[in-house]
Amino acid sequence: MFKKLRSPASQLGGIVIANPCPVDNVEIIQAPLPDKVVLPLQQRMGDEVIPCVKVGDKVLTGQVIAQAQDAFCVSIHASISGTVVAIDAQTIPHQSRLKSKCITIKSDGKDEWVEHKGYADFLHELPQTLVDYIQQSGIVGLGGAGFPTHAKFNTIKPCHTLIINATECEPGIMCDDALMRHYACEVIRGVEILLYISGANQAIIAIEDDKQKAYQSLLTLTHNDKINIVQIPTKYTSGAEKLLIRSLLDVEIPANKFAVDEGIICQNIATTKAISDAVIKGKPLISRIVTVTGDGVAQPNNFEVRLGASFAHIVALARPDSHPHNNRMGGIMMGIDVKTLEVPICKVSNCIFINHTKAKVNIQECIRCGQCNQVCPVGLLPQQLYWYAKSENTDKAMDYNLDSCIECRCCDVVCPSHIPLTQYFSFAKALHRQKTQGQQKVDIARERFEFREYRLERNKTERTKMMARKKEELKQKMANDKTQKSKIAQAMARVKQEKNGNKI
Amino acid sequence: MFDSIVIFSSLALVLGLILGYAAIKFKVTGNPLVDQIDAILPQTQCGQCDFPGCRPYAQAIANGEAQINQCPPGGQEGADALAELLGVETLPLNEEHGETKIEHVVIVDEAVCIGCTLCIQACPVDAFVGASKVMTSVIEDECTGCDLCIPVCPVDCIHIKEIQPTPRTYIPKVTHV
Repeated sequence: MFKKLRSPASQLGGIVIANPCPVDNVEIIQAPLPDKVVLPLQQRMGDEVIPCVKVGDKVLTGQVIAQAQDAFCVSIHASISGTVVAIDAQTIPHQSRLKSKCITIKSDGKDEWVEHKGYADFLHELPQTLVDYIQQSGIVGLGGAGFPTHAKFNTIKPCHTLIINATECEPGIMCDDALMRHYACEVIRGVEILLYISGANQAIIAIEDDKQKAYQSLLTLTHNDKINIVQIPTKYTSGAEKLLIRSLLDVEIPANKFAVDEGIICQNIATTKAISDAVIKGKPLISRIVTVTGDGVAQPNNFEVRLGASFAHIVALARPDSHPHNNRMGGIMMGIDVKTLEVPICKVSNCIFINHTKAKVNIQECIRCGQCNQVCPVGLLPQQLYWYAKSENTDKAMDYNLDSCIECRCCDVVCPSHIPLTQYFSFAKALHRQKTQGQQKVDIARERFEFREYRLERNKTERTKMMARKKEELKQKMANDKTQKSKIAQAMARVKQEKNGNKI
Repeated sequence: MFDSIVIFSSLALVLGLILGYAAIKFKVTGNPLVDQIDAILPQTQCGQCDFPGCRPYAQAIANGEAQINQCPPGGQEGADALAELLGVETLPLNEEHGETKIEHVVIVDEAVCIGCTLCIQACPVDAFVGASKVMTSVIEDECTGCDLCIPVCPVDCIHIKEIQPTPRTYIPKVTHV
């Protein structure tokens, strides 16, 4: 009954957005070596990684400068050769505009590589060896979220399907398109490595139907019957992991579960190229392809650039005009605004949007038109969530599955009142996280306080009991010990005698 | 006549037995109000309320022996929440019990520490690790910021460390309507 009522996967939510800056010829331009690179130590999850170099150390390109410590961290590598000049707090491309600890390397201009050797004959290695090697090569998801790649393989559930996400989530970004056209061979090899590691029966490469050239170039190089290349309609949010799985396999991943729990592994197309470079050539992740676009640049294009180079370093290559700009990392929909271009390019920086500063829109009250409900790709009720988020009633918002929100901003776009709904949602999510963490801390404190009270009380009673027992034992001992008694009697007799003697 | 007496008395007997059993089975031990009050209190265990911990204070409030405005770490919000729970008028925070400080933990200057263990004895949540004549350290995650260890330290090696915002704890702002 329900299945019949449910609309087909492809029709549920999402919006079609025209490409804001279409480009005729998608290229990859090698950016020159930067003078210095800044490499942040904070990764998507876990604590900051601990650097294994000191200020003043000479490093070579590809050398490990911070070692992975836990299962959700990856190693960090020097992206140029040179000298470590600082390990301190620097501004990173994050919406908080807070500083975070980074390693700064000044280039010596030589780009000397550290000795590297991969596993070109990967089919004769254990999958676990390759997974560890991927972690040591610093590979995380290059699509924008930066989820550590190796972590998806460290699960118990066997994988049956591998999905390679080549949908290029947002209009305007073209780094994956360029990558598929120019590195099709590496991409396919990367998919084969992933197939071997995961043990999956099939791999599906999902490409949006507006990337015909990329599709053709992959098609000509695929000679593996396990790899299918599928074209999907160009519609925004079709690239989100759970939605992509739903449209390709008609499998719905439950709200509190991940794709790996259903035996599906999703990887980004750029990640597969990075895996191929690491496993075949032994080169760790030290560069990525970044799209620089927007109406503020004369030549929007893709640049292959070393990680840690500043945004300004590659924006200059796209020839920006002299108007005031609004800079954005990531796409027009899910990206974040950055204040300055003096922030480093990270593993997740897939795109830099340089747009002319626009007048702020006039935000009005919600008129309950319900357009946001229709457009939400995950089937939430943004209007309802908005009221709860606004009143900071995060528990209620969570009851309405706020944590399933992918913050795609579809609701923002269709809202006739221009309410920044997604801002409310990310605010409410962060607030809820803070509240739960605070509550956990409070519960631990209560438990520890109560245990301490109990312990002190127990110590006290044990002590009194022990004292009483000792006293009792001593008494018994004295009573039973006959030699002791006779000794005392003798001593008493002696004293008496002496006293008598003295008298005489 | 006789029938109805029999029916009603047996009914009374059966229901009485059920109620009696339920009273034993579902007996509420302790005062549930104390738990509810304790859940609102911040569990700093600082003793600024003049009671030796949050639970004793909750007990005192439930018995009507203490006011609801004696908890500086809970702040005005805490007092308001207590007022709502108890159905009484809220009170402004009593300044005699101290001021609300920003969230913080303590750290030990390990070079100065002499290992006297006085802080270990003072800590209400056992957040110190150490032993006699060896360096002591704080488990920062467990520290509630009650500051009870600061006055007892003979060498003043315990310092306050404010919790700094990081990108991971950041709460995004909203462009308000």
